[in-house]
Amino acid sequence: MSKNKKLKVGVYGITGCAGCQLSIIFNEEEILDLLSLIDLKAFPFIKELNTDEEFDYVILEGLVANKLDLEILRKLRKNSKMLISLGACACTGCVPAYRHFTLKENYEHLLYKRQEELQDIEPSPHDEHVKVDYYIPGCPPDKKEILRFIKGSVRGVLPRPHQNPVCIECRRNGNACLLDEGKPCLGPITTGGCNAVCINGGLECWGCRGPTKDMNLELMIKILRDRGFDDRFIQDRMRTFAGLKLPMLERVMQGSKSKVLQTRFDGEKKFYE
Amino acid sequence: MSKTITLNHITKIEGHARLNLKIEKGKITTCELSATEGARYFEGIVKGRRYYAAHEMTSRICGICSCAHVVAALTAIEDALGLTISEQSCRLRVLLTLAERIRSHATHLYFLALPDYLGYESALSMAPEYKPQLQSALRLMKMGNGVVKLLGGRDLHPVSAGVGGWLKLPRQEEMEETGKELLKVKKDAIATVKLFAGLRQPEFESDAEWFSLVDPNEYAVLNGKFASGKSSFGKHEYRKFIEEYHQSYSTANFVVKEDHRYFVSALARLNNNHRQLSKDAQKALKDTGLKLPSKNPYHNNLAQAIELIHCIDHAMEICKGEIKKEEMPEITPRPGRGVGAIEVPRGTLWHDYTLDERGTITDANIITPTAQNLYAMQEDIRKRMPSLLKKKREEIVLDVEKLIRNYDPCFSCSAHFLEVKWL
Repeated sequence: MSKNKKLKVGVYGITGCAGCQLSIIFNEEEILDLLSLIDLKAFPFIKELNTDEEFDYVILEGLVANKLDLEILRKLRKNSKMLISLGACACTGCVPAYRHFTLKENYEHLLYKRQEELQDIEPSPHDEHVKVDYYIPGCPPDKKEILRFIKGSVRGVLPRPHQNPVCIECRRNGNACLLDEGKPCLGPITTGGCNAVCINGGLECWGCRGPTKDMNLELMIKILRDRGFDDRFIQDRMRTFAGLKLPMLERVMQGSKSKVLQTRFDGEKKFYE
Repeated sequence: MSKTITLNHITKIEGHARLNLKIEKGKITTCELSATEGARYFEGIVKGRRYYAAHEMTSRICGICSCAHVVAALTAIEDALGLTISEQSCRLRVLLTLAERIRSHATHLYFLALPDYLGYESALSMAPEYKPQLQSALRLMKMGNGVVKLLGGRDLHPVSAGVGGWLKLPRQEEMEETGKELLKVKKDAIATVKLFAGLRQPEFESDAEWFSLVDPNEYAVLNGKFASGKSSFGKHEYRKFIEEYHQSYSTANFVVKEDHRYFVSALARLNNNHRQLSKDAQKALKDTGLKLPSKNPYHNNLAQAIELIHCIDHAMEICKGEIKKEEMPEITPRPGRGVGAIEVPRGTLWHDYTLDERGTITDANIITPTAQNLYAMQEDIRKRMPSLLKKKREEIVLDVEKLIRNYDPCFSCSAHFLEVKWL
């Protein structure tokens, strides 16, 4: 990326809660300076005039839940050198994708006719449909992580994605281990970078940043079972935020040896420092 | 003369919506406001989950009012479990809700609404000329977010509020510090009222009735009856007076009370409860000359600005209170149904859950402010149109967008479903 010319950036949302886009704006002290570092071509949430031409990168919030979402995702992918998936909906499907693991009878009756272009699509993260260049996970994403990404992009060096589990940051903060207190914390298998914000606040980790690449799912399941959680509970909990990134869950729970622990949080290594 | 105006993507609102207007021979033949947001089926996916998952999951309905969904869900679940929370827990939930309202109103007023009035495409492009105003906005947002973070653990989707109380309490000195910080931003709230009182608003009256909670004890936040100037209902009877139906072109459903349209908002709250505003908020209200009750949706921005002062005053009061160490209660699941109705940035929010004997959710219903306002919004546009027809297309679009943004709609929230039978 050229250093002399401002990067052309677009910020968009598809189906979601707008919380990720707010996480950008809620960098209250830095936001005005931050956005002057780039050439913000589009940000329909706060801008009237938006041009979707050629972008250096697009930051996209939300998951694919209807045909219109998919159309927008594909168009932005085509128009942008890099696609940045922002937030849990974009990276893992988050809570809306939990629909895959719920009984059809629970929501079937809620379906109704819509215009053809707004027809439902199975709720899915971006990388089920297009190539994603960088992930900023979390529900909500850490607003400072977004800040670091944008600043890094201007310097031409993107921050290295987090690889370590939440536990590392949690220990560093001096929190007592919630697993030891008998709480179903998913910190050991969840990608860090959130500074263990939930555990700091007294809540166990629900896994919103998605599984780490080298997680030991088998051990996590054993730890939870040993603490008296039944399999139904473990499945529900692990699938709330990142069920689609744990396709091997059932097999591992049944004790099958043929584990496929590959998750899709790979990104593009060449962009990192 | 026939004219079709389609706003495929209405900007500067939360979520995604479109407007379809068709004017034939000076008559409005089509006026459809609809969410283009994908369906997320929150009420379906919480079924089968245990009582403690409701607020974690439904918080994700909306980012800017995630605290609202958390508090409404907790209130409903505790109602179903027959659980009474402590006075302190309740007080802190009020504070969380007010703090969220401060950041939400400030974001809406300055980033989404104000550019329309000053002739800019965005708050960002206002920056060179209106830097002090934007800094006011950012200070208010930071204040609201700071309190949400102190109580909830982070700015969005708070973690520390749990079923029965708080997983982690703020420290006394943090509360005192927060009280001081709140006082510092009060001048920004007062400046916001002056700024918005100076904006020209069209004369217009909605045919819809206003509704909000009314609480004899305070400017209603978490308690009270759902009331208008004419009628008043207890929250448990809501299914008797709020009806829901679907338009085929929308994800959202419209809510009708006894066949009348109604709106919920800061303006609705002011109409009902302005006598309970803090002293300084009442003074600010008086200075603006705003006549209440008002059914002019263009007044909602000013109402939000006035609420900023009140929220800061009320929040400062709460910060003076003592923080005692409290344990979370032991919870024994039991079958039952509970309703939570609370006042959130955009109006009254409803959560309703039914639990079985294991505490598993067997039924859920959520009605958001925007879902309740959609019908009124759409019909206001229809009513407003005839006086605009002679104007240029761009002017019509701007006026209509202003009207929509004044309601501060959140289309992420409004994508909501209830059983409908198609014949």
